Amino acid sequence: MTQTPAAWVLLLPFLAVYALFLVYPFFRGIWISLHDWNLLAVAFNPDAKSFVGFENYVRVMWGRNIEWGPLSRPLVQGAGYLGVIAAAGLHLTGRVTRVTAIGLAVLGFLAIGLGGFAPGEGGRWYDRRFWPTVGNTVLFVSLTVPGVTLSAMILAAALNRETRAMSVLRTLFFLSQVLSVTVVTLVWQIMFSPRQGLIANITQTLGGTPITWLTDERFAMAAIVIATIWWSLGIAMILFLAGLQDISRDLYEAAALDNCTGARAFRHITLPNLKRTITLVVILQIILHFQVFGQSHLMTQGGPNDTTQVLVRYIYQTGFRDSELGRASAMAVFLFVIMGSFSVIQFIIGREKK
Amino acid sequence: MKRIIFGTLAATLLATGAMAQEVTLGRFFGACEDAGTDTRTSVGEACIIQSIINAADAEIEGVSVNTLPTDWGNYYDQIKATYASGTPPSIHVLHRSSLPEFASLGAFADLTDDLDAAGIDPADWVETAREAVTHEGRIVAVPMDLHANLWHLNMDIMEEAGLVADGKPILPSSPEELLEHARKVKEATGKDYLAADFAQFPIGVRLVLALLWQQGSNIFEGDEATIDTEEARAAITAITQLFDAGLANPQLNYADSQQAFLNGEAAVLVNGTWVVDFYDAEAAKEETALDSYYAADFPTLFSEGATWADSHMWAIPASVKANDPETYQAALKVLAFINDHNIDWARTGHMAVRNSVLEGEEYANLPHRSEYTATADIARDTPASQRYGAIQDVLNRELQAIWLTGKPVADALLDAQYEVQDLLDR
Repeated sequence: MTQTPAAWVLLLPFLAVYALFLVYPFFRGIWISLHDWNLLAVAFNPDAKSFVGFENYVRVMWGRNIEWGPLSRPLVQGAGYLGVIAAAGLHLTGRVTRVTAIGLAVLGFLAIGLGGFAPGEGGRWYDRRFWPTVGNTVLFVSLTVPGVTLSAMILAAALNRETRAMSVLRTLFFLSQVLSVTVVTLVWQIMFSPRQGLIANITQTLGGTPITWLTDERFAMAAIVIATIWWSLGIAMILFLAGLQDISRDLYEAAALDNCTGARAFRHITLPNLKRTITLVVILQIILHFQVFGQSHLMTQGGPNDTTQVLVRYIYQTGFRDSELGRASAMAVFLFVIMGSFSVIQFIIGREKK
Repeated sequence: MKRIIFGTLAATLLATGAMAQEVTLGRFFGACEDAGTDTRTSVGEACIIQSIINAADAEIEGVSVNTLPTDWGNYYDQIKATYASGTPPSIHVLHRSSLPEFASLGAFADLTDDLDAAGIDPADWVETAREAVTHEGRIVAVPMDLHANLWHLNMDIMEEAGLVADGKPILPSSPEELLEHARKVKEATGKDYLAADFAQFPIGVRLVLALLWQQGSNIFEGDEATIDTEEARAAITAITQLFDAGLANPQLNYADSQQAFLNGEAAVLVNGTWVVDFYDAEAAKEETALDSYYAADFPTLFSEGATWADSHMWAIPASVKANDPETYQAALKVLAFINDHNIDWARTGHMAVRNSVLEGEEYANLPHRSEYTATADIARDTPASQRYGAIQDVLNRELQAIWLTGKPVADALLDAQYEVQDLLDR
């Protein structure tokens, strides 16, 4: 057998499984999203669905009398304007590459454009919960990803030594990663409990009143972010350790001769050499955490008042509790587009020449 | 010797394997390891139901019952998924409030003509229970209880606040009195008057619903949402006045509010009938601060008595009856067994559904039973709806917004009105 047919034969099992369990369900999902499709009703009567075109998307994302304004949502759009200006400034001064600048600018324009839609007079969203839920998910991602990246990088730098104690510590820090979300959330629910939790006990010993983390709107999101950072530190740390071990010792030795050690060496040698690892970690984490579900579902049940309601949990509730599979699929397609665009960004950056 | 043992073992396995008809069973109520088969001594919902199921497995000849692993919070999602994939359990528990969604699609077997032969007498069921399991004139489930919200009381705190007369608690009869009692408790003991899960599980919703019904109002009638009303404002204010005056804490969830009550930090806990035997057992323990426990009817703060109620019942999927008569017959036997053990289930604190049980001495002698005899008469629920879960969720979110995030009552009611109307229109 020549190489090409052999390659196909070897790939076939993977392609078959991939097509059956990923490609087919994906297109099926899109198909369902174009229907009024009740989960239970269709199970009992396959004809109980009806084709509605893009109705589900409209019902989920649009509303009555929706208007666009340049400053309808000052916070979101303001950040967008800042992003665009920063992208232009950074690119002109040559501090970032063209691709990074374009990426930043695109994000900025997205924030300005999408953030500008709001119900005009007498108008309202058809689904009042969808966009706030998207907002919560974005907030969760934007808190978790820097949190995981920074703490994993600091840990990796600190643990990047070949002693027995360090390898024990590395294992310990990685251990949380292997736990399931049910265990993680159980552990942290106990930690956060205002009655028997470790945090409450410490606060009380110090003379404070315990915070009801999971039911206080100011702290609920922070609580699930903290639990998530603790949980997903491991993989990021391992990636950083691999990145760190790739940096040649010679660089540090040469720098040491020039009296550049410690924090300065980290700033001028470690960070620049870790750039690709950082990008990889950040994008992997973004894609991963957009799919957050368990933490919100189990720790706060999306509350209080929906402040921790996230996209996947809303999809789950719409599909299973409310049986509205068509609507849920439309939201899932929306989530796919978001995650897909980050994958594309990663692909582009990955191909970028040094 | 060895040969004999293995031989007998193999023969037994073969024999039971050939004879036993497997019935798969789906339920919530939580897990109970080592429930045993003694249905008379188990304590708490999870252990009592599991001991009844274990006993059914052991005692019904030719039937083995296999309890599927399900989890409370996602129970209905799991059950729906099993129906959607064509593999529902042979029998499963559900609430009355969830019956319309399934029954309207023909998901449940029509049991009407098979009950007598299985040894279940529907004429023995109380009227409300029979109504609860009847869909379009046909019986589609076997009722197990009627459960409702009670006021669980710490009589020591009530006594200290001067709210006990002749060994009975003095309960408020108006929102003003509620505030006054709460002040008395705070002044006399420094403790909260009332605790409940206002933060996650919809106990707060059920409290507000009861106060709505007490004014003759409801959240919807027919296809029309009726939430944004004077009555709703009055019901909500009756509760928020306690939060505003610092006499109750809205941030406790189910576990924490229960713990607060058991720790002797609150005079009243609003919770269901399902915990009466558990609190009774806890009060008897030395290490629990709660010593003197009393289970009272939900008080009437407005013009008529009302408390939130629902009902647990067991159904068999229509597909089992249509395609698998042996399993259907076996499942009916299990239902009959559960029906026969109605008195054991009532030990939880739930109200029994069989007249023969209700009239019996054993039922009357159950702990605290005499303290909440009016509950059966004031028990109510929202009108039947296929969107019960989503509607309850809307109310839960908007009420939480009021007491946890300070959303103005008028805004919350208007939003709830819109959203529930949306759900009714779909």
